[in-house]
Amino acid sequence: MVRVKSFVATGETTPETLSRLAEALERDPLGASFVYIFHDALHDSDAILAFARKRFADAAILGGTSCNGVMSEAGLAEAGSIGLLVIEDPDGDYGAAIVKLEANAADCAEQALHDALERAGCAGELPELIWLYQAPGREEEVIEGLRRVVGDRCPIIGGSSADNDVAGQWRQLANDGVLSDGLAIGVLFSSGGIGFAFQGGYEPSGESGVVTQSRGRRIVTIDGAPAAEVYNRWTGGLLDDKIGSGGNVLASTTMHPVGMDVGKIEGITHYLLVHLDAVLEDGVLSTFATIDEGTRLYSMKGERSRLVERAGRVAAAAAAELPQGEDSLAGGLVVYCAGCMMAVGDEMPEVARAVTRRFGEKPFLGCFTFGEQGTMLGRNAHGNLMISAIAFGK
Amino acid sequence: MEGSEELREALVALRRENDLLRTETTHAKLLLTALEAVLSVDSRDDPFAGVFSALMTVFESCRAIVLIERDGSAGELECIAADSPALVGTVWGSSRLFEKALAGRVVATISDSDVSSWPDALERDFRIGTPALHMPLGVREKRGLLLLLRAPDQPGFDRAHVALAKKFSLLASHALAARQAHQSEAESHRLKRLTEQLRISQAALSHRANHDQLTGLPNRAHIQELVDNAIARCGKGKRMALAFIDLDDFKRVNDLHGHAAGDTLLKTIADRVCARIRDTDIFGRISGDEFVIVLDDIDRRQDISEMVSRMRGDLCEPLWIDSALIRPSASIGVAFYPAHGKDYETLRRHADIAMYEAKKASKGSIAFYRRELGRRTSERQRLEQRLLRALETGAFRCALQQKVDIRSRAVVGFEALMRWIDEDGEVHAPGYFLKLAGEFGLVDEMTDLVVGDLLDHLKLLDARFGTNVRYSINVSPTQATHLPFIRKLVERLHSSGRPRSFILELTEETIAAIGPLQRQVLPLLREAGIGLSIDDFGTGYSSLATLADLTVDELKIDRSLISSIHSRPRSQSILRAIESMSLALGISMVAEGVETAEENLYLMAHTRLNIGQGYLFHRPELLADILRSPQAVQRNLCG
Repeated sequence: MVRVKSFVATGETTPETLSRLAEALERDPLGASFVYIFHDALHDSDAILAFARKRFADAAILGGTSCNGVMSEAGLAEAGSIGLLVIEDPDGDYGAAIVKLEANAADCAEQALHDALERAGCAGELPELIWLYQAPGREEEVIEGLRRVVGDRCPIIGGSSADNDVAGQWRQLANDGVLSDGLAIGVLFSSGGIGFAFQGGYEPSGESGVVTQSRGRRIVTIDGAPAAEVYNRWTGGLLDDKIGSGGNVLASTTMHPVGMDVGKIEGITHYLLVHLDAVLEDGVLSTFATIDEGTRLYSMKGERSRLVERAGRVAAAAAAELPQGEDSLAGGLVVYCAGCMMAVGDEMPEVARAVTRRFGEKPFLGCFTFGEQGTMLGRNAHGNLMISAIAFGK
Repeated sequence: MEGSEELREALVALRRENDLLRTETTHAKLLLTALEAVLSVDSRDDPFAGVFSALMTVFESCRAIVLIERDGSAGELECIAADSPALVGTVWGSSRLFEKALAGRVVATISDSDVSSWPDALERDFRIGTPALHMPLGVREKRGLLLLLRAPDQPGFDRAHVALAKKFSLLASHALAARQAHQSEAESHRLKRLTEQLRISQAALSHRANHDQLTGLPNRAHIQELVDNAIARCGKGKRMALAFIDLDDFKRVNDLHGHAAGDTLLKTIADRVCARIRDTDIFGRISGDEFVIVLDDIDRRQDISEMVSRMRGDLCEPLWIDSALIRPSASIGVAFYPAHGKDYETLRRHADIAMYEAKKASKGSIAFYRRELGRRTSERQRLEQRLLRALETGAFRCALQQKVDIRSRAVVGFEALMRWIDEDGEVHAPGYFLKLAGEFGLVDEMTDLVVGDLLDHLKLLDARFGTNVRYSINVSPTQATHLPFIRKLVERLHSSGRPRSFILELTEETIAAIGPLQRQVLPLLREAGIGLSIDDFGTGYSSLATLADLTVDELKIDRSLISSIHSRPRSQSILRAIESMSLALGISMVAEGVETAEENLYLMAHTRLNIGQGYLFHRPELLADILRSPQAVQRNLCG
């Protein structure tokens, strides 16, 4: 039987916040097989990990920094918060490993996966789910490394760790330590079953074009013209003040990402979103995901109300995927893009409420990330401005 | 857009449920076969032959091996059954994965699993990191496991296989235990009955997955399978026909008589068609009021035409549902294999296009697909996409045509007209797109954009033409009786702060459908201070008594009465009569479509009509162009 509980505390200092967490854990103790930890980047990750290792000596531990705090069924915790999601599953197997992302990120990911499986006592076995939490920047390579081992036979879900100001203060943690340029991998063999969902909350606005030149995370031209100019035309002049001078466009493009067609169901297209970061020289656009030449990009647009509701829908979709049905839900985890959080603004508490409702008031923990990984139409992928949810069955 | 998001979600959920249902029924069928093999065969015989056959199909594996703990040899397992006889009797060293399976876990492997303890009797290919699925199996009162292997170049087993293996493993272990324990005959019969019940449930499940619950006909997914199979069997030179049947006005039956009546109608239609088709034909329901018939192995097109006509005749026989007499009608489109398509989807799509053509021509008719229809449908679809994109980019703009004092030529008002500036910058008048836009339900949004364009530039227009000028906005008959639309429009015009500057133009046709208009729409306009004009007066079905009841600010005399009026005595007489009535009722008149000086001269000399509109005075211009033009400001002489 699987039990899931969330614990969230807020404080100005790490010791104070951990003390509150300790009290909460005392009041509601449970065994731990797997522990997720997400926290505001202001806190001391090493201290948090030491706390968790002491409390949950036999559990696999994984997590990292989350933009401006966490959310749970108790609501949006905001600045200075630390959140734990504790999974008690004596009949399951769980393992976690952490590795620094060296030159070949795919190789590092592959090794980390094998290490995590070893820790779980499940070397050579296909997990039910692979969870990852990594430094932003090399997500596609990491997924490629993991796919070498499991293909798309099991879901790869996770996020890119975030800080509060896009200042490089993000960190990842697992049993073996804390890194700022690392990859933490968890493998889950749950006895209660797992459901998951990965969706964006944006719709196509009608414009599209083919990437005719790109370099990794830089789109150089679309349909033969400078990418920034084309995007600016699609969005009715959203980048007018940046076309000549260049600059950061993260905030202004949050409601207008681009999307890639990842497949159709009954003729309805599903899109993987990409967030634009900056306008560079010669009208080049930099992004938070790799886009290959020849890819058709679609101009997407969002609305606040839809981004608020979407988190709840993704949670419900994950619960619906549980093998024993949504009534078997024990708890969940939500990965919500920090970019969406920026766009939603002061309606974020409603996001937490929407997830709480759709998870049926069951315990959950939500983190806010700078990139999201999940499975879309059967393929593991990395995107931006996406929402990912995992549901744990009893 | 919100609809699109919800539609995507609903479709994903439906597809998932349907795929799950169909997959599970297929698997259930095969696994039940395996269980029956275990239960039915004499206890002295090998129970595994049937099991392997079913399992290897379901799991797409190449090898199936049953291992049990070996007596007196800890850490060793013996193969007691395998699809390859050479493996029976071989000894296998235990491994961590085997121990897990023996303990009750289902395990799928990833690459590089440890297979060093596997015997040499197993082909080398299967001993090098081959994908494997281990499932626990209780056999001969011992712990055992069933090992399924795939070829090295096959993809590995996935989570779905693990879930399926969990279900099978439990059932198979119980079945084997029953066999081996030499249960009493009663117990054996009980298990067989259980299996029979499971088979009945599985058959019901399969039927549910493949058939429409209301009519019992094959559903959309099953029809596709049946038709694909029929096409595959279709010999060279053979033809088939696919008829797409759409019930006309089915929604009205539901609305007027209730959904129970609608269901009865559908079932009756289904029965009637079933009675007409041959055993070789396929008939199914693909959605609400849409059916598909596939007529197999036809000789002549004429034969099909006759068959479909007879079918339509049967279909359209009136029927009593409760105490209501229903007269069904169906439009039918027909496409032929292979001339109009070589797969189900293409045939269905072309038959659908033909059906639509039949419906347009005359409801209840039959049409055969022609390539010309396909081309027209593609054009229509392209135009729809363009219109949708145009809405997104706000490409519908306001054009204005002046209304002038015919004597002084002072501008007294404008009629606001819709224009579409397409992606190439070409300007299109409503004649090009409005009808289709109406069919797609896009006109309200287009009107919103045009009104918005006008309101955004009101101050600039004031500066040019003064504030006494009035702006007429056209409202279609559908819009005029759609209260939410009118309310929203009235609110917007009211929010300009000067609702009296606006007039809504409604045609005589709309005025004639006076009921809801008079009761609800007109009071809204009156209260807001917005004027009302009857457009194209003289062409419709206005009742003079109706005019007496309405408070109308303006009659726009249709161009047909104004054209060459100087040389048409009958038109002159009619105009005099209208003028007389308007003056008596205090209604202003506008002559529409004044194109020549002669027409205007006549109006000036022989009528008391003051206002004219037409190419003689001003051609419609985009609002933006009017404001950009350097021509001298023309103010309303009254303001």
